[in-house]
Amino acid sequence: MPEAGFENLKALIVEDNAHMRTLLRAVLNSAGIKQIMDASNGQTALTMLREHKSDLVLCDLAMKPMDGLEFTRRVRNDEHSPNPFVPIIMITGHTEKYRVEAARDAGVTEFLAKPITAHNLFARIAEIVERPRAFVRCDNYFGPDRRRHVQDDYGGPWRRKDDFQQEVDVR
Amino acid sequence: MKSARNKAQIIAPDAYPQMLSKPNAARALKTLRAGETAERAKIAMEAQVPAMRAAILEYVEALEQAGTDMRIVFERSHDIRGFAETAGLVTTGRIADILCRYIDDMERIKKPLDATLVALNVSVIGRAARAEGSDTTMGDTVAQELAALVAKRLADASQG
Repeated sequence: MPEAGFENLKALIVEDNAHMRTLLRAVLNSAGIKQIMDASNGQTALTMLREHKSDLVLCDLAMKPMDGLEFTRRVRNDEHSPNPFVPIIMITGHTEKYRVEAARDAGVTEFLAKPITAHNLFARIAEIVERPRAFVRCDNYFGPDRRRHVQDDYGGPWRRKDDFQQEVDVR
Repeated sequence: MKSARNKAQIIAPDAYPQMLSKPNAARALKTLRAGETAERAKIAMEAQVPAMRAAILEYVEALEQAGTDMRIVFERSHDIRGFAETAGLVTTGRIADILCRYIDDMERIKKPLDATLVALNVSVIGRAARAEGSDTTMGDTVAQELAALVAKRLADASQG
């Protein structure tokens, strides 16, 4: 395979189902992503994240003892989080609207419904690469900007008129 | 007047470390969109199908043995929903999806599950998963009728 662009990328799969872990690993490998760690729940994944650098996380929602929502909140908000900006793609069969909203509010970067296809997974990764999102920090949220679309015909109040006064560089 | 603490702080993408460097990002996008990558992924996924079908049959057995333990029914039907289509069992996945949505919606409106309806779904999932060529017109018809039945029960429960 020619240089794929992912030679240095380290991915972490957080998924309690061993078959799904194998499947995800196989799909990532086919795009040239070879440095992959996996964990069977959020608790183990947090420990791995502290010990090993990760550039991309694929995370299930329903896991025990720590589910994907709590894992995401901890990655984004823990004082000692090794990388609060790491892109997190939540991959789950729980596609009900309120669960998708809960994932968004926890701070996931992208959401992917099972059953997965390689096309859809690659599209989510491409989205992260091509259109990285701004992060927002406010009193009750830290994570990717949850407003994905600009409504040109929006006629309501501009609630964050002064939100953009403070831009920071965290590198 | 809003306090400074209430103001959202915006961190632009070029102000935090990105997943890939710019040169690697360009090459990565090309890779992700290449036909040969899609072909490799297809082959990789197809190689997983036998193991996934075996796993689905294990989940089906667990589902059938769960009886009235709705926690297990919920978890295993989600496993089946997540895997079945990737394993080529499209009808099985559709029926599992109907069951998952039914359990989830009833839980959301705080109504008791109809055990007979759950048992019917479980039975049909089992038959579909085990049948050779289950993704037939007959399977689709059963899935459609089951979906209609579940929708009616949900509507009744919402009104009741």
